[in-house]
Formats: sequence, structure tokens, C-alpha cells
Amino acid sequence: MNRTILDVDNLHKSFGRSAILNGVSFSVPEGEISAIIGPNGAGKTTLFNVITGLYAPDKGRISFNGRNIAGLQPYQIVPLGIAKAFQITSIFPRLTVWENILAAVITHRKKNLDCVTPLSKLAPIHERAQELLESVGLSDFAHYQSGTLAHGNQKRLDIALSLALSPKLLLLDEPTAGMSPEERRDTVTLIKNLWERLNITMLFIEHDMDIVFGISQKVRVLCYGVLIAEGSPDEISHNPKVIEVYLGEGD
Amino acid sequence: MMNLQFMLFILINGLSQGMVLFIIASGLSLVFGVLRVINFAHGSLYMIGAFLAFSLSSLFAGKTLFAFLMLMLLVPPAVAVLGLGLEVSLFRRIYRKEHLLQLLLTYSLVLILDGLTRIIWGGQIRNVPRPEILAGSLDLFGLFFPSYNLFLLIMGPLIAAGLWTLLYRSRAGNYIRAAVTYPEMLGALGVNVPGVMTATFMLGCFLAGLGGVFMSALANIDLSIGMERIIECFAVVVIGGLGSVGGALLGSLIIGVGVAFIQIYFSRMALVFPYVIMALVLIIRPWGLFGKPER
Amino acid sequence: MPSALESYPSTHRSWLIAGTVMAVLTILPFVLGQLGRTGEYWLWVATEMVIMALFSLSLNLILGFGGMVSFGHAAFFGVGAYTVALLMKKGGVGFVPAMAAAPLVSALAAGVIGWFCVRRVGLYFSILTLAFGQLIFMITLQLYGYTGGDDGIHGIPRPVLLTPLSYYLVCLALVAGSYLLMRFLTKSPFGLTIRMTRENPERAKFLGINVKGYQLVNFIIAGGFAGLAGGLFTELNRFAQTEFLHWSKSAEPIFASLVGGMYSLIGPAIGSTVLIFLKIIIQQIHQGLVEIWGIILGVILLGVVLFMPEGIVGVYEKIRARRRRPQ
Repeated sequence: MNRTILDVDNLHKSFGRSAILNGVSFSVPEGEISAIIGPNGAGKTTLFNVITGLYAPDKGRISFNGRNIAGLQPYQIVPLGIAKAFQITSIFPRLTVWENILAAVITHRKKNLDCVTPLSKLAPIHERAQELLESVGLSDFAHYQSGTLAHGNQKRLDIALSLALSPKLLLLDEPTAGMSPEERRDTVTLIKNLWERLNITMLFIEHDMDIVFGISQKVRVLCYGVLIAEGSPDEISHNPKVIEVYLGEGD
Repeated sequence: MMNLQFMLFILINGLSQGMVLFIIASGLSLVFGVLRVINFAHGSLYMIGAFLAFSLSSLFAGKTLFAFLMLMLLVPPAVAVLGLGLEVSLFRRIYRKEHLLQLLLTYSLVLILDGLTRIIWGGQIRNVPRPEILAGSLDLFGLFFPSYNLFLLIMGPLIAAGLWTLLYRSRAGNYIRAAVTYPEMLGALGVNVPGVMTATFMLGCFLAGLGGVFMSALANIDLSIGMERIIECFAVVVIGGLGSVGGALLGSLIIGVGVAFIQIYFSRMALVFPYVIMALVLIIRPWGLFGKPER
Repeated sequence: MPSALESYPSTHRSWLIAGTVMAVLTILPFVLGQLGRTGEYWLWVATEMVIMALFSLSLNLILGFGGMVSFGHAAFFGVGAYTVALLMKKGGVGFVPAMAAAPLVSALAAGVIGWFCVRRVGLYFSILTLAFGQLIFMITLQLYGYTGGDDGIHGIPRPVLLTPLSYYLVCLALVAGSYLLMRFLTKSPFGLTIRMTRENPERAKFLGINVKGYQLVNFIIAGGFAGLAGGLFTELNRFAQTEFLHWSKSAEPIFASLVGGMYSLIGPAIGSTVLIFLKIIIQQIHQGLVEIWGIILGVILLGVVLFMPEGIVGVYEKIRARRRRPQ
């Protein structure tokens, strides 16, 4: 049994009078690739945002590698080993692809305050950047302005930026949102490959059930801010509570 | 110098300055709410309104009520028409551009409009004579209330009420508020969204012009009032929160009264008051006293 | 496939251009020295151009690289100016220590003001910079006991060693040195980090960057360079005036950066030079036109924002990129 890398305990979060998270609790073992699903408005993105520090929870604990991170700022949480790839692709549009990744690697290696060394002279950083570029398949696009890339490639870059942090836990918020079926397949293959090669714990939010059942080891179902079911894809697809939630929801 | 009459005078003065500021700031707030552009040049438009009032008033030679009414009727629409020209030729082009460029564009307008004002009207201090009926003071309860200031104290809430009615009780107001919340949807429903935006912008300019008219008879006007007022407007929308009529009113009165009183005791630092308040609010509670915190 | 090949403006070209320009600029005063009175005037103009180029370069660290519009940059220019004025005229301090103090004092001012301003983003940041700029202006105006208020401080001593020609060379050296420093800064990891915070502050946060911290450091550096420019300017003119702190003075580096090209390092220097040439030409054409200097500035800024926001350098780069694209 792998040790627990992420432990979420009785998480509550409200915005004004809307209670979004109402006592979410679960544990993620190291190395797992799992999905969080649930109807719209169930609180999935909010859950990710609370874990990564954008919001502080009203109540509850979040433990990462044994350390309580609830209430910390994103820039404090990220160096601990959690990275998030965005739902709406979030890159640095006017920088080239290469500069994007360079920037992420520099940040990970804490070299941001270096005011004197020219970027072109940072060999070890270049190596790592090249490695990342290849791992997401964007080597051909290195010197293109990243904002001009096709959507699917921007998504890859987004993932590469997160990977640059050598995270132990990677959160992916709807990685295939808005993609064509072909792009979707490519992205899923990429995610699966990365998981196999890099041995990162992955947690993703998805609506596409083929993907969810295709690559996740475990599925957790969130509804109205509460975890209603947790299990293998097979167990979940036969769970009466889950079926009821999705009854009538076309997929 | 603590006698009641004196304090009252300061208070009334401050409140009426606040009322004028409210009229102007509400225009700015409205434009931002619908068009999502902060129009730096709003202060310049107000200044143009004030100077237009001055020019027009010299035409009517004689401190008659008629002249003043003419000013109120003619100047704000004139400024609104100027606004129309600006919106159609310039603002339309920048709605989709990044905020940095929007800011710079309206900033360039400040340079142009202030420069034009200087050329047309010169650098001297001007003012507009108050209509005779409002030139004196009213004697109530043994205290004197300057009539013109009282007039403004009535006009302010009247206009606030009028704005509120327009926004919340009229068809046009529905369109405006809908354009704030669902711009794309409104277009899909066949509403002429550019038309709504233009109309809103013109309304904002109208209010700026009206504020200019009122200010021209309240105090001396010169070429610095544009920049002074826009910064005060920023302070108002910062304090009251963008998009809140009530907040704008409260913010304006706070600034008006604050400046008036500080002027007596620390005259040199009075002008600094709006900046200090604004900086404080922006730092402590940036969504204003009435707005909602946004992430 | 990406729709367009657009690489970030390369600065190798800038090296070449800058090198040539430096050579010309260094020889210039000796040429002008032969021209008598006219030569003296143009030497003064050239010195002003060099100094104002530094002022614009400093603002662009915040504007072009940081992506933040600061309307109050003249405050730091003015702080540097008055520091030199007060130290040299009233404090009897020498040229070198006074000139060294200017950037330090304005960097300090930038630290204090910047700390407040970076707490907010976008529009609110800009409003705060405008407010603080005006605040400093008014405080300077009011403290006429120290600053001479409206009159300013006049009669700042000029060290015997500094003839107009040698002063020009001193300014040239300092500005060129500052430019080199900025070049290192912007091409370093720090520079890339600043550009990251411009492009996508949210994402930068999620990569682990303390965005506000970096923005503040950038603001302070920019303020320091502006202070140096202010100090040099004051010594050139031998007076310091409250106009140096007015909001319209903050407009000039903004204009220069836009016109010259805010996404390059050399752009603002080019824009600033264009600006000064323009002023001179207008003065020559018709004295009355000086009145409408603000309008002219505004119109050009308007045109640039609407039609070529990438500025002269940006247009130049686009033309080069088009020529290089395979047919």
C-alpha cells in the first residue's frame, strides 16, 4: 500500500451565502492516477483552487506529504510539490514556447533573482527545458510565439509548465475541455505517457467518461460539495447513487 | 473660529461641492459599468462643460434665471454630443483592446482636450454669475444658508433619484443594466448593443457637462479643474465602489466635506485629502465601502 | 500549425545599432564645438536628449517589460532632481556624491510609493501611481521653505571641471552605463520573470512566484534610474522646478515608450529622441505652436495606440520578419 500523498479532511468553503464545499474528505495514495467527476457546480474546480491555495478553506485540513497546507498562498504551496494545469489554458502568450518553459524551469530552480547572467548562458536550465519540450512533443515549436499556437498545443505547453516544477502531485482541471476528438485522444495519450514515465501522482477533473474510465485507477464523485462515492471505475459505474446523480445527464 | 454659523457654512459648502462631484462621478461610474473603460478624459469633459457654461453665460449678459436655465439645458447636451463624436470615432475601436492601451488612449484624450481648452479659453480664472434668485442666502432659524448651495443640495439627490429611476425603473435602464451583465446575450437577442453603449457614454458625458455647469457658478474655474476632478472621481468610485449610485453619493459627500473642513485647518494640505483617502481605501478595502470583494 | 511566425524582437540588431550610435554620439560634441553659438545650443539639446532617454528607458521597465501603466513616474524624476538641487545648492555637496545620492533617494521613494501601488493591479495600480505622483507634486509645492515652492531652486553650482562638452560626455557615459545595466537586467532570469508577471500574473503565481514582490523590485529599480535622470537634468539646467513632478511630465516617457516601441529595450530611447526633435522643430516653425504641445503629444499618442502600438521598433521588426519569411 502506497503512502498517502494528499489528505483532504472535512473541507468547507463558502462564497457569501453559497456553500460550495460541504465537508469533503478523501486520501490520495502516492503514484495514483485518478479522476474527480460530478455534475456542474459540484465544487470540483473550487476544490482544486482550495488545494492549490487560491482560496483558503473556511474549515478543514489539507495535508500534503504530512504537512498542513490549508490557507497558504499559491507561491508557497507550489514549491512544496503541487502543480496545477489550468482549465482555461494559461500560458505566457507573447513569450516564445521556449521562453515559457525556460521561465518555468528557472522558477523551479529558484534562479529568478539572477540579474546578470544572460539567458543564453544557462546550460543546465537549457537541458531541462529541452527535455520538457520533448516530453510534451513541442520541440518543433520552440521559437514560435506561444500565443499563436493551436489550442491543443497550448494545452501541452500548459502541462509542460506544470511539469517543469517537478511536481509530486499534478492537478489537471478538465485537460481536454474544448478539444476536438483527435486532440482529445492525443492529450489523453500524453497524460497517460507522462504518468507512466514520470511516476507523478495525478488527479484530474473530467467530464468525458471515456477518458475517465479509460485511464484512471480510481474515481471520486463530488456532488453539491460532498464526496458521494469513491472507487474503481468499474465500481463507480455500478454505484446506484452515482447512477442517480447522472440519470438524465447526457454524455 | 468655532461658531455655529461658520461651521455650517463650511459644511454646506462641502456638501454642495460633494453633490457636484457626485453628478460627475456617477457619469464615470456608469460608463465604466457598461463599457468597461475608465474614461480618463471624463474630467476634461467636465471642464469643457464648465467653460462652455462660462462662454454661454457671457452671451446672456445679466444674472437672470433664464440664462442659468439655458445653461443647464444647452451645455450638458453639447458635451453629450462631443461624447458621441468621441465614442463613435475612438472608443469603439478600443473595447476589445487590452486595458493598458485603453488607459493610454483615454490619457491621450486628456492631453488633447485639456490642450484645446487652454487654446479656446486661455489660462485665466473664470466663473459664471449665479442667477439672482440663488445669489443670496436664506435666513432659517437665525442662520444663513447660501441659496445656491442649498439649490445644489436639492439638485444632487434629485439627480441621484432620477438616475436610479432611469436605471432601475425604465426600459432604457433595463437595457443598460443588461448590457453590463450579459453583453453577448443581449446582442444575440437582437438588441442594438453598440447603440446602448453609445447612449450610455453620452449619458455619462451629459452628467459631466451638468456638473461643469453647476461648478461654474459655485466656484472659480480654471485649467486645473479637469485633472483635479478626475482624481477626485477616482477617489469616489474607489470609496463607493464602481457601479453603486448610493456609494458614489456617499463617497462624493465624504470627499466634499472632508476637503472643505481640512481647508480651514490645514489649508495647504486640503487638496491632498482625496489622494490620501483614495490611497487608504485602495489599500485597505479596494472594493470600496459598498462593493463586493472580487478575487 | 501556428498561424504566424513571430519571434520576440531580437536584440542582436540593437547591439549593432547601439554601437554605431555610441560612436556617433561620442564624436558629436567635438563636431558641434566647431559651430560656435549654434553648436552650443545643439550640444545642450543633445545632452538633454541623452538624459531624457534615460528617463524614458526607466519608465519602460515598468510599462513595457512589467506591463503596468505608471502615471506618476515624474515623481521619481523630480525627487532625484530636488535631491541634487538641495544637496549641491543648500548643502554644498559636490557633484559626484550628489549624483550618487539622487538614484538612491528616488529608489527609496519608489520603494515606499511602490509598496502601496503594487498591492493593486491594472487600473487601480495606475490610479494609485497618478495619485501618489500628484501627492508628491503638491507636497513639493507646499514645502516652499525647503523647495522654493513654485519658484523652485535656482543657481545650482556647476563644478569648474564640467564644461558643456565634458558634461555631455559625463551624461553620455552614465546613460550608456545605465542602458547596459538594464540590458543585463532584462536579458537575465530576472527580466524573464518580470515579463512572466506581465504576460500572466495568475500563472506566474501558480509557478511559485511572488508576483507583487518582483513588481516592487522592478518599480524600485525604475525609480532609481529615473532619479539619476532627474539629477542629471537638474545639473544641466542648474535649476529644479515643480514642473518636473507634474503629471504632464509623466506623460513624456509614456509617449516615448509607445512611439519608440515598448517591447524593446532601445525603443523608449528612440521615442524620447523623436519627441525632443519634434519639440524643437515645432519651436522653430512657430512660437505659438508651443502652446499646443500637449495636443500634439496627445494626437500622436492616440495615433500610435490605435495604429501602431508596437512602436517604431516593433514596426521595424515586423518588416524584417516579413522579409525573412520563405515565399
